[in-house]
Amino acid sequence: MHELALTQEIVAIVCQAAGEQRVRQVTLEIGQLTCVTPDAIEFCFEVVAKGTLAEGARLNIRRTSGEELMVTTMEVEEAI
Amino acid sequence: MCGHCGCGDVHEHVHADGTRHSHSHHGVHDHPVAVVELQTRILAKNDALAARNRAWFAGREVLALNLMSSPGAGKTTLLERTIRELRGQYDIGVLEGDQATTLDRDRIRAAGAPVVQVNTGTGCHLEADMVAHGLAELRPPVRSIVMIENVGNLVCPAMFDLGERAKVVILSVTEGEDKPLKYPHMFRAASLMLINKIDLLPHVDFDLARVSANAREVNPDMSVLRLSARTGEGIEQWYDWLRREWMAAGEATFA
Repeated sequence: MHELALTQEIVAIVCQAAGEQRVRQVTLEIGQLTCVTPDAIEFCFEVVAKGTLAEGARLNIRRTSGEELMVTTMEVEEAI
Repeated sequence: MCGHCGCGDVHEHVHADGTRHSHSHHGVHDHPVAVVELQTRILAKNDALAARNRAWFAGREVLALNLMSSPGAGKTTLLERTIRELRGQYDIGVLEGDQATTLDRDRIRAAGAPVVQVNTGTGCHLEADMVAHGLAELRPPVRSIVMIENVGNLVCPAMFDLGERAKVVILSVTEGEDKPLKYPHMFRAASLMLINKIDLLPHVDFDLARVSANAREVNPDMSVLRLSARTGEGIEQWYDWLRREWMAAGEATFA
């Protein structure tokens, strides 16, 4: 279940960049040639993100054709 | 048109540090939403730590190998024989990855090599930072060989670079010739495939020609050797391969 380790990295990358802003959406690119199952990432994300700035964030996974394994963008709530 | 500032539904600007934000003023709870470009590889942290391990090995001219297989293919038995038979020729140290227990550590220690057990807990593979911690404890000498015995698993370990010079995949004849096709990532990542337990060939339906063809289909550059870690048949070819890699590890530093 390497997806759990990958999801921990995803949440760490996102939370570090978020500073103190809440994360609303995270977009990933996962290539077809990686042995990564998007469903498993989604399953892990809900659990791993709990209690962090990314709790409840929507995960948007784009399947690409190569070996991509990236966090591309996120949406955060800006302080008013 | 947005009522707050007169912009369109979304407006975009670029911060001084190059971060591009686009705002929608119609988010939930009236929070403006900013899009942040990350473009970060998920494995960036592991790969950076692996690069550090690789530099550490290179600086000491240490040959590091990442041994991978399914559980029970004979990684530990191969190491035991290698350590016993090459004693006096090389300093061999071992990092033992397992989810639990120190059983393998005890076997390696009995064979006569320094060994550090790295228990991964729930983890199904070793990562570069675990290897870094293990190395701090193992403290392998200059010009030695470090065998990193990964967790028995043909899927996850293939993804995580540990800083090794080469990945070695071990497949035993009791497993079936289709493994390279079923687990292509593992066999694509490996430089060498060892077909182990060939002493059992008379008792199992295992087609050596077919497994080699399957392996080359996913990885044409991979070397393939056949041996029995139990009887020692074919083991000399493995020692020859080890010697070549060990020589190359000594030459790589200032290349």
